[in-house]
Amino acid sequence: MSIAIRSILAGALFALGLAAQSALAAPSGPPVRIGSTLALTGPLAATGLVHKIVGEIYVEQLNRKNGLLGRPVEWVLKDDQSRPDLARTLYEQLITVDKVDLIMGPYATANILSAMGVAQRYNKLLIHHTFGTPSLAKYEMQFPAGGLAGDPDNTIPKLVFDSLAASAKPPKSVAVVTSKFPSVHFISLGAREAAKKRGLREAAFLEWDFGNRDFGPIAARLKDAKPDFVWVGGLGLEGNLLIDAMRKIDYMPPLHFHLFPAPGPLLKAPGGENALAATTFEEHPPFTDNPVAAEFIRLYHERGAKAGLPDNSVENQSAISYSSWQTLEAAVTGARSLDDKAIAQWLKSNGVDAIVGRLRWDGPFNYIYGTDLYKVKQNQKGKWVIVWPKEFAAPGARLITP
Amino acid sequence: MRMRDLAGVAAAGIGLAAVPFFGLPAFYESFLYLVFHWIVLAVSWNILSGYSGYFSFGHGAFFGAGMYTTATLATKAGVPFLWTLPAAALVAAVFGVALGAVVFRLPRLRGELFALLTLAVTFVLATVVLNTPIDGGPGLYLSAVPLPAIGPSPSSTFYLLGLALALTTLWIAREIQRSRLGTGLFAIHDDEDVAEVLGVPTYRYKLAAFGLSCGLAGIAGGIQAMFISYVTVGETFSIAVPLNVVLMSVLGGSRHWFGPAVGAAAVTALLYAFTAGDYAVAGRAAVGLILILVILFLPEGIFGELIGALKRRRASVTPAVDASDLPAPSAAGPGKPENRPLLEARGLSKAFRGVQALAGVDLEVRRGEILGLVGPNGSGKSTLINVVSGHFRPDSGRILFEGSDLAALEAHCIARSGIARTYQIPRPFAHLSVLENVALPAMFGRDAQARPDAEREARRWLAFTGLAGKAMSLPGELNLHQRKFLELARALASRPNLLLLDEVFSGLTHAEIDDAIRLIREIRARGATIVFVEHVIRAVMELTDRVVVLSYGRVIAEGDPRAVMREPDVVTAYLGKPRA
Amino acid sequence: MALPSLTLLGQSLLSGLFIGALYGLLGLGLSLSWGMLRQINLAHFALAFLGAYLTYQLASVGMDPLATLALIVPFFFSLGALMHWLLARFSVSAFNSLLVSFGLTAIIEALIQWIWTADFRRMESGYGEVKFRVGSLYVALPELFTLAMALALSLLVWAWLRHTYAGKAMRAIAEDAPIAAAFGVDVRGLSLLLSGLCSAFAGVAGLCLALSYTLAPGQIYAWLGVVFAAVMLGGLGRPLGPLVAGIVIGVSEALTMAFTAPAWAPLVSFSLLIVVLLVRPGRI
Repeated sequence: MSIAIRSILAGALFALGLAAQSALAAPSGPPVRIGSTLALTGPLAATGLVHKIVGEIYVEQLNRKNGLLGRPVEWVLKDDQSRPDLARTLYEQLITVDKVDLIMGPYATANILSAMGVAQRYNKLLIHHTFGTPSLAKYEMQFPAGGLAGDPDNTIPKLVFDSLAASAKPPKSVAVVTSKFPSVHFISLGAREAAKKRGLREAAFLEWDFGNRDFGPIAARLKDAKPDFVWVGGLGLEGNLLIDAMRKIDYMPPLHFHLFPAPGPLLKAPGGENALAATTFEEHPPFTDNPVAAEFIRLYHERGAKAGLPDNSVENQSAISYSSWQTLEAAVTGARSLDDKAIAQWLKSNGVDAIVGRLRWDGPFNYIYGTDLYKVKQNQKGKWVIVWPKEFAAPGARLITP
Repeated sequence: MRMRDLAGVAAAGIGLAAVPFFGLPAFYESFLYLVFHWIVLAVSWNILSGYSGYFSFGHGAFFGAGMYTTATLATKAGVPFLWTLPAAALVAAVFGVALGAVVFRLPRLRGELFALLTLAVTFVLATVVLNTPIDGGPGLYLSAVPLPAIGPSPSSTFYLLGLALALTTLWIAREIQRSRLGTGLFAIHDDEDVAEVLGVPTYRYKLAAFGLSCGLAGIAGGIQAMFISYVTVGETFSIAVPLNVVLMSVLGGSRHWFGPAVGAAAVTALLYAFTAGDYAVAGRAAVGLILILVILFLPEGIFGELIGALKRRRASVTPAVDASDLPAPSAAGPGKPENRPLLEARGLSKAFRGVQALAGVDLEVRRGEILGLVGPNGSGKSTLINVVSGHFRPDSGRILFEGSDLAALEAHCIARSGIARTYQIPRPFAHLSVLENVALPAMFGRDAQARPDAEREARRWLAFTGLAGKAMSLPGELNLHQRKFLELARALASRPNLLLLDEVFSGLTHAEIDDAIRLIREIRARGATIVFVEHVIRAVMELTDRVVVLSYGRVIAEGDPRAVMREPDVVTAYLGKPRA
Repeated sequence: MALPSLTLLGQSLLSGLFIGALYGLLGLGLSLSWGMLRQINLAHFALAFLGAYLTYQLASVGMDPLATLALIVPFFFSLGALMHWLLARFSVSAFNSLLVSFGLTAIIEALIQWIWTADFRRMESGYGEVKFRVGSLYVALPELFTLAMALALSLLVWAWLRHTYAGKAMRAIAEDAPIAAAFGVDVRGLSLLLSGLCSAFAGVAGLCLALSYTLAPGQIYAWLGVVFAAVMLGGLGRPLGPLVAGIVIGVSEALTMAFTAPAWAPLVSFSLLIVVLLVRPGRI
């Protein structure tokens, strides 16, 4: 049998399977319309695209199953062009003109804050995933699904320094360098405090303006300060720029942690080996033991390749995006209603088992009480693997200290 | 006409203000608020940069100053939101005026250097805000600040605030364009030095325009701070604000108060036309393509082209000016030379990079006379005119005009004291009509006439110089002869006591010179005193009562024209050196 | 604070010099087309990024990044000439060229995002990791290449404008195009040539960007402010201006970052710029 015939047959079988499946539980009735904006163009578009692909995957999965409450789901997505003022107005459009049933959050702190203001005025539930400054979330019907605790400036530094303390060679001195981008900056300041409390010597503390292009002098100052560990409060490409600059002067600190890096480039960057970063999810057990996660990973690889993404592995951004959709589905199903208040009530008193772990909204600002779902990962041989806490570590993986 | 205009505007304003009470979905209110927001920014930018050509790339700094003023006062000092808005305007305006007070003193900081300076100021301000307790990094959060209920809902409150500010801004921009300030600014746009010499207080005008422009941007910032409710340095001081306002003004047309508003509305609408998630990238390309096509086919901007077309139609309908509308006799005395001096120069010196253009010139111009100023090229004649008219300041010496010293005065004050001049190479305001060119000195000269009077006056002088039929043309459409006469008409329109003519005859044909001689005689007959610099000896001999001969920046002879031109020194000065 | 070491001083100086060279290289074409052809070409940045992406693409199919110049330069030259033809055909004013080129920027940005997505792209090449050691200081090859390119192109243009007939004719066009045409200068041809060159410089700058930086479409706007500042400070249409001004800005920022809080860097460099503007009669 030639390959062509085989693939046609396979396609026909697949189509049959689909038809059978949809015949089993075809959602019917008027669609449930879910509205959101994402940064599809502009400076945040790189990550906006990830969230778009995940949303499309999830909505298709929903419709292939039973939809929401038996009704098909339609996702009304708009492009906020990475601008908060546009995000605000587009959410108003979604609510007052398009009259969507439910809304989902956009990408990144400033735009989510804009959307939250609108949600509050119209008493709409808002589930979101990438809001970096919890203390600004003062609306009772907003539900973060990104796995953060209400005080990430305590929890994330604690996580990182715990992982270092448990390593083979705990650092004695630390340099905290950070961008002055709001959501990154305050966590870095927390790291500075945490290091002080643990009696680590502060070799350097440097802040730069977000959008800084020349990292040479900062690299040179780090080289002079010779810290055992560098905490890099960088957003997007900033960590990469700093690593590049350090490589150029033939210097790498023994250990370096990156707060919210662009994961793909950091993985591939020369000098990125052994870099540490925070994450909620990586493509290895125990996470991949969850069949839902495994299926999502498969679909994401497929879609990512189709969309031409240079790096289509599932990690933090795509996982929390998926988890936020899981939250929405669980809450609507659990409340058996599209009423925002009912859904919010359900979320307040229930948790959701998402692929990033169990999400709860019992802490301050509806964030998780106590600890968060973040883990420490390390770039080992060109792959991100979780190394801390131990129960989430990839099989056999330990924090490598040079 | 004006009353009807105002009534129309008031009706439109009331109509728009009523919109929120019709239960329109909030989105439209917010969308329209954003349109108003950009209208305020673009129109206010245009007040300085479009009218006067001082291209600011720092509008983001003043907008940001307003944003942070409101955010700081509302969150840290607990000032009610509406009360922070005047403060936002004030801080931005004071900031702008302080900057302008330094920058506008430096004539070299025009064009792109002004743009650079304002851009640099934006970066500096952003860095200061980021690294001081004003912000410090985390941004300011305004959600807890109560929003007064002006409209039935928060969105309508923003809508009404935006509407009020946009209408105010448009009204201010319109009034400025029609006022002396606007006329002066448009003249500064075309030729700042000439504007100053014709009596426009350029420094004060630029400051006023800058202050207003910044203040309006400041209020817009204050409202916007509340609208987005989270103010960060990165979003506030980005290059987007200056870039957008420039693009909007160009797209709408920057030579009319309403143009930028059209551009702002068009760009904001375009932005929303392409927000569908599936076509975001294609939408971006479409916006780009539309901008390109619009400006290629409507180079004066959308509104600029519209106004241009209307004007052309109106101009073709307007009948030619009645040539019998002759100039009124001047108020000044009879056209007979007296012995009392009108102008006295004492020990006037001026050097340029080591070249001594004037080396202690003593000179007397008597009331009612025509004084010829002659001498070889480079002898200092034009410099003398430039110094007397205030174009240059003398290094030393005194210039007494009707008993008071001009040497320390700014050029526009000299013009107002009753001195007018022409330029050897005509320097008309290229974008103003012939009529506007001539009306300007009447508005800014000794009598400071109101615009309608000034235009009437200008039409008289245009008829007098034979340019009546060209009143609505642009100077670029005139030939050299006509441009020389335009220069003359412009000098005459301020009804000067002293008229300084710099080579009005050069480049004219024999017949045109005859024309000009007749004109100058007539001008003198109407009471003006005339000093003229000339190479055309025939004109000197026919016209002057006295001549003064300059050589190497000194007076070498003076007296009756015929006698002086025969003096050996004068002959050597002319013939002993080849004329360049 | 302890006294900073000489190595830190030297390394920071170098860093500022190199980033300044990139400002200069990005600014060269912008300055020439603004100063000599009265076209304020915002699309210059988009062209540079298009060049960077093309270099990335060619390198990913196995071409040596430096060899891509053989394709990049003629391609961008034609693109620039074509753009000038369009602007000249509609006799677009300086002001309006800003708008046209902004539209073009949006189109190129969309094109890049359509082909390469908004996700980050990083060219992998043998050159990225090469560095030289001079005493205790290090110099990386991509940066050295950028500096060499900036210097060579700026000097070549300078010499061309000063010493060749075509260059002098070009300067005449910049002074007064109609008069130059009356004296028999081929205004059309030379303007096309210069636009082509400016655009080709954008392509070269793109190569340098690809050698040193991770690319994303949104980055197009990240360089706008500082490069515009360098261009205006250096004097429009002056071939050495952007490079000198770029280095002044780059070095002053680098030194501030080396010795004080790095976040204050823009304050120092741009205050310096303001002082220069206020005190000095002309430009740098």
